[in-house]
Amino acid sequence: MVTRVGDTSDRTGVADRLRGRATAAVRGGFFRITVVVTALFLYLPVVVVGYLSLSPAPQPSIPLDGATLRWYAAVLSDARFVRGLVTSCVIGVVAAVAGTGLGLLAARTIVRARLPGWLRASVAVVIAIPLFVPTVVVALGIGITAGRVGLGFGFLPVVAGHLYWVLPFSTFLIASRYATIDGRMTEVARDLGADGVTTFRTVTLPQLWPALVASVLFAFALSFNEFLLTFFLAGSGVTTMPLEIYGKVRIGATSFLNAASVLVLGFSGVVAAVAASLEPPT
Amino acid sequence: MSGSTDRIPWPTFEGPDGWRTLVDVGLAAAPTALAVALGVVPLAVLFVESVSPLVTPANYAALGESVYLPVLVRSLGVGVVVTAACLAVAYPVTYWLAHACPARYRLPILISFTLPLWLNYVVLNYTWVWILATDGIVNTVLTAGGFVDRPLDLLRTTSGVGIGPLALPGPSLGLGFVHIYLPYVLLTMYVSMERLDYRQVEAARDLGAGSLRVFLDVVVPETYAGAVAGTLIVYARIAGAFATPQILASPSEQMIAQIITTQFYDVLDYPFAAALSVVFLLVVLVGFGVGALSTDVRAELKRW
Repeated sequence: MVTRVGDTSDRTGVADRLRGRATAAVRGGFFRITVVVTALFLYLPVVVVGYLSLSPAPQPSIPLDGATLRWYAAVLSDARFVRGLVTSCVIGVVAAVAGTGLGLLAARTIVRARLPGWLRASVAVVIAIPLFVPTVVVALGIGITAGRVGLGFGFLPVVAGHLYWVLPFSTFLIASRYATIDGRMTEVARDLGADGVTTFRTVTLPQLWPALVASVLFAFALSFNEFLLTFFLAGSGVTTMPLEIYGKVRIGATSFLNAASVLVLGFSGVVAAVAASLEPPT
Repeated sequence: MSGSTDRIPWPTFEGPDGWRTLVDVGLAAAPTALAVALGVVPLAVLFVESVSPLVTPANYAALGESVYLPVLVRSLGVGVVVTAACLAVAYPVTYWLAHACPARYRLPILISFTLPLWLNYVVLNYTWVWILATDGIVNTVLTAGGFVDRPLDLLRTTSGVGIGPLALPGPSLGLGFVHIYLPYVLLTMYVSMERLDYRQVEAARDLGAGSLRVFLDVVVPETYAGAVAGTLIVYARIAGAFATPQILASPSEQMIAQIITTQFYDVLDYPFAAALSVVFLLVVLVGFGVGALSTDVRAELKRW
């Protein structure tokens, strides 16, 4: 600002600066409050259910009259729930490992393959379908197709569905890391006489490693929590954790369900936090 | 990207490196086959199913006559409202995170804001039952504090604000949706906000612009691509959500995915379910196409 010499203008200058500082403080306060409220909004519901899961009564009343872990014991000894947990973990591991393998192949195709650009872009678009087509449409399409071609419903269709579901996430996570690898390094290795497998193992793989581990963990979390596709493909024989919880939510809110919820959130939260520390979100 | 291969119109297997191209095709085959078998084929089957038996528009005609069109309109309306709410929260939060937050807290806060992406949304929706039920935490606090005489009806109720099917979602449905989809928008907005040059904001302030002017004339033009990308990512998911309205919506707030699922599961009317899905998909894809017309937005989406 233009400063004139003189007593009065000096005082205005100070007042202006003070006012400026005051608005900056108000502005800073507004932003900080928004951030804190957002954090509370995201996590308070989880904290509330965690608190209520300690209720001694099957139907908690607020405030609780005591605290116990009996519902956690009940959940972990409930046959249906444990079977759902085991099924979800098995499907999750298969989808995570196989999905990361396929994602690696797809990422290599999109970033490095000696194929025309339009072909590589088409592969990327086809793989990205579940990202922009509403899940209910994908689920109905796969559900009807499974019924019509006689593939049927059950464990294997669910595994295939989950593998498909995690593929775009693995692909694009690995592709963004793949794109940072200098292509000349692999060409040099080849010029020095290494074959394709050796080049991949000694040059590319060590650089991709964190992305691959993050992909396995994120894909596991995705598969472990997937609900709608499973709902359309499971039929009557298979039950997964999210299906089991959904079935119980529809009946009513109970201490048992609260404990189950905390276990599920804690489990996927830990997996995702490890993955996020390996491959930060940006 | 290897620039040289971009100009080849078709893969060639000739020459000294022909076999390497062959290997590339072989390696590409497995993931592509999976994506075609469970992505492209089901969408084609869906379309065929929607005009079956033979080739008939009957399933689509039924859609026009039925009570289902308002459900589609309502779903799209809920998508707009929830997406707008997510953006309204994400703008100040990501602005602070990218430009005012001390650097050492930035990543931990960003991770904690995006961690819910990987949590189970059925369970996250369920947590709101305990917040908003008549004997839930909000009503307990309000009645104990003497703010209300009797518990408020917050769970699975309508807002009562709006015209016909275009209504604001009820409190539990709205909060449940924002809770699930806010982290996606926070992440896309943060990526844009991080690239906003803060010196532009300072320059505008030094020239005397107020907060609103800075926001409208500097922040929005520099970050709208992230906002549109976030919108494209969450909008269809919200409009097409199944579990959230099942758990948190009032019976009069039915959404399109619930109808499609009922037609598939209970009524077993595959052709009608398929016709509903095709119409819903087309509406969503038109929105996507309009959004992706902008090159800025396309560049933003490619980062995903």
